[in-house]
Parts: sequence; structure tokens; C-alpha cells
Amino acid sequence: MALRGDWVYENNGGTCVAIAGSDYCVVAADTRLSVGYSIYTRDYSKICKLADKCVLASSGFQGDMKALQKNLAAKHLIYQHQHNKQMSCPAMARLLSNTLYYKRFFPYYTFNILGGLDNEGKGCVYSYDAVGSYERTGYSCQGTGGNLITPVLDNQLKSPSPLLLPSRDAVTPLSESEAVDLVKDVFASATERDIYTGDKLEIIIVNATGIRQEFLDLRKD
Amino acid sequence: MKLDTSGLETFVPPSRGLNVLPSDFTASPAFDLPGCTDFDGFQKNAVQMVKPAKGTTTLAFIFKEGVIVAADSRASMGGYISSQTVKKIIEINPYMIGTMAGGAADCQFWHRNLGIKCRLHELANKRRISVTGASKLLANILYSYRGMGLSVGTMIAGWDETGPGLYYVDSEGGRLKGKRFSVGSGSPYAYAVLDSGYRFDLSIEEAAELARRAIYHATFRDGASGGVASVYYVGPDGWKKLSGDDVGELHYKYYPVVTSSVEQEMAEAPVA
Amino acid sequence: MSIFEYNGSALVAMVGKNCFAIASDRRLGVQLQTIATDFRRIYKIHDKLYIGLSGLATDAQTLYQRLVFRHKLYQLREERDMKPETFASLVSALLYEKRFGPYFCQPVIAGLGDDNKPFICTMDSIGAKELAKDFVVAGTASESLYGACESMYKPDMEPEELFETISQALLASVDRDCLSGWGGHVLLVTPTEVQEKALKGRMD
Repeated sequence: MALRGDWVYENNGGTCVAIAGSDYCVVAADTRLSVGYSIYTRDYSKICKLADKCVLASSGFQGDMKALQKNLAAKHLIYQHQHNKQMSCPAMARLLSNTLYYKRFFPYYTFNILGGLDNEGKGCVYSYDAVGSYERTGYSCQGTGGNLITPVLDNQLKSPSPLLLPSRDAVTPLSESEAVDLVKDVFASATERDIYTGDKLEIIIVNATGIRQEFLDLRKD
Repeated sequence: MKLDTSGLETFVPPSRGLNVLPSDFTASPAFDLPGCTDFDGFQKNAVQMVKPAKGTTTLAFIFKEGVIVAADSRASMGGYISSQTVKKIIEINPYMIGTMAGGAADCQFWHRNLGIKCRLHELANKRRISVTGASKLLANILYSYRGMGLSVGTMIAGWDETGPGLYYVDSEGGRLKGKRFSVGSGSPYAYAVLDSGYRFDLSIEEAAELARRAIYHATFRDGASGGVASVYYVGPDGWKKLSGDDVGELHYKYYPVVTSSVEQEMAEAPVA
Repeated sequence: MSIFEYNGSALVAMVGKNCFAIASDRRLGVQLQTIATDFRRIYKIHDKLYIGLSGLATDAQTLYQRLVFRHKLYQLREERDMKPETFASLVSALLYEKRFGPYFCQPVIAGLGDDNKPFICTMDSIGAKELAKDFVVAGTASESLYGACESMYKPDMEPEELFETISQALLASVDRDCLSGWGGHVLLVTPTEVQEKALKGRMD
């Protein structure tokens, strides 16, 4: 989509996945940035570290992605100055929802996943639409490869709905290394069929000891 | 046109006297508008790109014991199911709940906003806001944004000094008081079950089962509804979640698979 | 909404070791309204050849009747069944006849050919053939199916494993699609037998 006249959006593609476990959270995204059939760069990180236990992965329009990340980072800085502590993941989730909704009539064209650890140290994933409706889930996938990856995650991780009453335990049964392997698998598959996904996979693992980063090469065609 | 941003006033954080930053981060939040001449055209295109969640079945009715509210939990973008676990019944305060149909973000945000307004009303007046009042607060906000593309179809159900209350409020400015409502793409199916089974003197268990059945039948016929059928009850002591059933399992509970009887089985031929 | 999405459908075919499986959902809808939950989209041409027709149901049925007619004529003249490759060319030719007013169908063809070599193929609504060695998908849930099959498929599966894989892929995919699902049909074809199974699925 060209930037003509009043129209200010472009889809730069990309896929993000996040999986929450009992004491960890895996957030991953590919590093390809493209428009139409051309690739702008093969090495653009879509994941942004907002706090020690909170990372944001976004796909959509790069301009809005960057603007949103800077906006949140600045708001987090002010929060730190005012409260002398880092924002918790659930608080950041609400902030992101409101930030997105304030641009309801001129949206940030971004599809976000917020991953991290909650106040009890459990993994948490928050999944958003472009105008700020959000939901806490056990796992989530967004972006151009979302339609390909989500059914596989459903199949592998199918957790009981949190809305069930009597409620059933909804924690992903996978261990940290199994979750990382699953993420690698689904990205390798999505890369086969989605032209906007590929080049390199950036995986961020958040757990009690801190944040760890891993990379995996994907197909470059 | 001037936008009514009074809906956002309660969000302004108390000033700390440190607002030396020239940035807009500490300024009171306001809705950004695109700097273009054709706002409607822009909205139409933008909505196409962000495709907000649509397709729902929600229902609520008043009966002898109070109000029953029920909903499915599916969010879809076009034909794709973006979530099966949406919380479409939003808890505004312990005595009032709202339902969500239309744009997910619009409903979530303005219900959150309504929750804040209700709490402030409670603090200012030392008593809980009436369902009538709360629904009018929401209707007035939505009316001020009329024509800008908000998409909300909600029911506000609660218990106040006058007993049970139920209102339907939508983004076109409509606000209706009533005994029985259903909203969303699955509502024709839900109404069919609801209307045929409704009596004022239902017991709580009967009413919950009626609501559950209505939601189940709507999810069966309507492609855009599904997931979990949640049923809430609002009584004199506030709301309570009565049940949440996966309709995937509910179907086979209502209509168990009967294994067809075997007419004749293969057997060894008798030795001549 | 596209006319291809009017009735809703999900179709998938997979190749195993000397066998293949073809599966579909059971829903027939009019846009979002579900009309029937026992609809068949997979049709038998002969014992070792099946065609699934996704897209507009009325066109699928018409097209199927024309295909049966042509296949019967072939049987009378040649006194044998059609090879899957030949049949695919027939479907392609029939579709291209209506190049400027097409049948709104995307077919999936699966069969066992000479010395029981499995053959699967799909084509667009005007007959451009696409042969695959692993799996083919079609219908409103095709994107989800691509993702699921790409992750779950392995080459040279035995019939039992093939059945399990195709069923899991189908059910996982239709659960993310509003317009298909409500159970499934799976046909597992080996050189010696044809097994047909109905899958129990989510009914929402």
C-alpha cells in the first residue's frame, strides 16, 4: 500500500509469538521488515524491552511500532521517576490498552503482544488488537503468520479456557526448553508459507533470573 | 467539530508539580485525530485495516429473582477466529455488569470508563449509582461520539435501590429499558429459545439453564459465536458467576452421540 | 464477502506411504448461518479416486455431476477407470471451458494411480493445476490448514499415522475458522481398502 494523499499506513509484515509458562515467558518475533514484495531489511528487531520483566513484540506498520515503543518507554520512565519502581506487567498491559485506545480515530497500525512475569512471578501474555482491546492468555500469535501458527499452538498447548466454571488449571504444561523448541518449530513452518516472515528469529526468554536472548536463522527466500 | 473529551477527565493523574517536560506525556490524554480532510473516508479505510472484532451472542433478562446475563466468548476478524476466550461480560462493580457486542476495544474502554465514573459517583454521593443513572452516563458519552464510527451494543444489568435493572445502550445513541434483550449476530437464535422458554417466575436454576441453552443454540447456528457460554446472575447481594461451559462439550451433553446398533456381526462360518 | 466464502468449507488431502487421505468439514452455511452439519464435499469417482470441491456448494454439485457423466463415458469407451492424472486434466479442461464465468470451486483431487502410487493435486477455479508431493488444502480455512499441515506433516506415514495427522490438522484448523467445522469426514485410501470415518468436532 503506497503512502498517497491522506493515507499514512503501510504493512511491513512480521510475526510475533508469545508463550507463558508457570515461571517463564517466551516472546519471539522474526526480524524481516518488508513492504509488498520487497524486503527493506533482514535484521529489524520487533521486540522491545520495556521493563525488567516486561517485553513488547509488535508487527504491522514500522513507523507506528517505533512511535508506540518510544511512547511507552517514555511513560515508563516517568512512572519510574514518580514511583521509584518498575511498572508491573499487568499495569503495563493496561497502559498499552489505553495508549492504543487514545488513538482510536487515528490508530497505531500495530498488532501487539506483551509478555513477561506478573506480580506472583507467573508467566503472562497479553494479546491486543490495533485499537486496544486486550486479553490475558496463555499463548498468543499475531502478525502476517498468525493465521498459520495459531492453530498449531492451539493443537499443542490447548489449555482450558479461563472462563470455565468450575475453573480448570490453564497453565501451559510445557517446560521452558520445550516452549522454546515449539516456537522455533512453528516459525520454521510459517516461514515456508508466509512471504513476510523469515530471515531470523529473535527469541526472548523472561524468567526469575532475568532476560535471555536467542537467535535462530530462518529461510531467507 | 469539537470533541467531548469529558469522558477522559478522570484519567488525568494528579499533578505532581513536575510538569516541566514540554512533551505531551503528562498532558491530559485526548483522542488524536488524523490531519486529513476526509475523516469518514479515513475511518472507513482504517477500520478495514484493523478489522475490529465483530460477531457475538449476548443476552440478559429480568425475572422473579433478579437478572440473568449470559454471553459467548468468540472474537472473529472476517472469517478468522481471533480468540475463543474473550470476556464479554464486563464486571463494572460488584452490583453491576455490562455485556460486550460490536467493537471489542470500544466496549472494553468505555465500560472501564463507566466503572470509574460509577465509583466517583459513589464517593461523591455516599451511595451506589442506580442502573438507570449508569446506563444514561454511558449513553450520553456514546451519543457525543455519534457518527465517528464507534461500534457498541451493550446491556447494563444490575441491582439498585429500586431492585433489578436492565438497559440496552448502543453507539447510535439508543437507550432502552426492558425485561428481555439479546444483542449480536447470534441474537435471532438466542431470542427464539429465550422467548419460548421465558416466564417471570422462573427459579434461578431454571433461568440459568434457559440462558445457557439460548447461548448454546446461538453458537450452534451462528458462525461468529462460540467458545464458552458464561452465565451470570445479579441479585440483591450483587452479581455472581453461575457457570461457564465450553459449548464444544455442551453440545454433546445436550445431544449425546448414540452409537448405532450393530444389525449383524461377522462370525466364523460353522464347520460343515 | 467473496462468493468462494458463501457456504464455507475446509478441504485437505495428504500423501502417506502407498496411501493417501482426504478430509473435509461437514458444514454447509449461508454466510454466518449454519444450514446443515452433515454436508459432504468429498465425492467418489471410483474406488481409488476422490475429488473434494471447496467453494460454492451449488457449483460443486453441478461440477461433480458433469464429472461423473464424463467419467462414465470414459469407462464405456475405454473399459477401465481413469487414472488420477487423466482425471485431473479432465477437471482442469472442464473448468477452463468456463474461463470467463467460472465455477466458484477450488477442487482437491486425490487418487491412487498405477502401481498404487498416490497422487494429489489442487487447482484454482479456472483449472490451473498444482501438483504436490506432500499435502494440498482448499477452502475458507486454507490458511490455517497450511500452517497446521506444514507443522504436522511427515513424509511416508503409515495409514494409521496418516489418519491421525490429517484429523488433527483438520480439527485444529476449522476451530479457528467461523465458516467451516461442525465435525469432519476423513477418507483413508490404501491399495486394499477404503476407510471412511466421521470426526466428532466442536459444534460452534
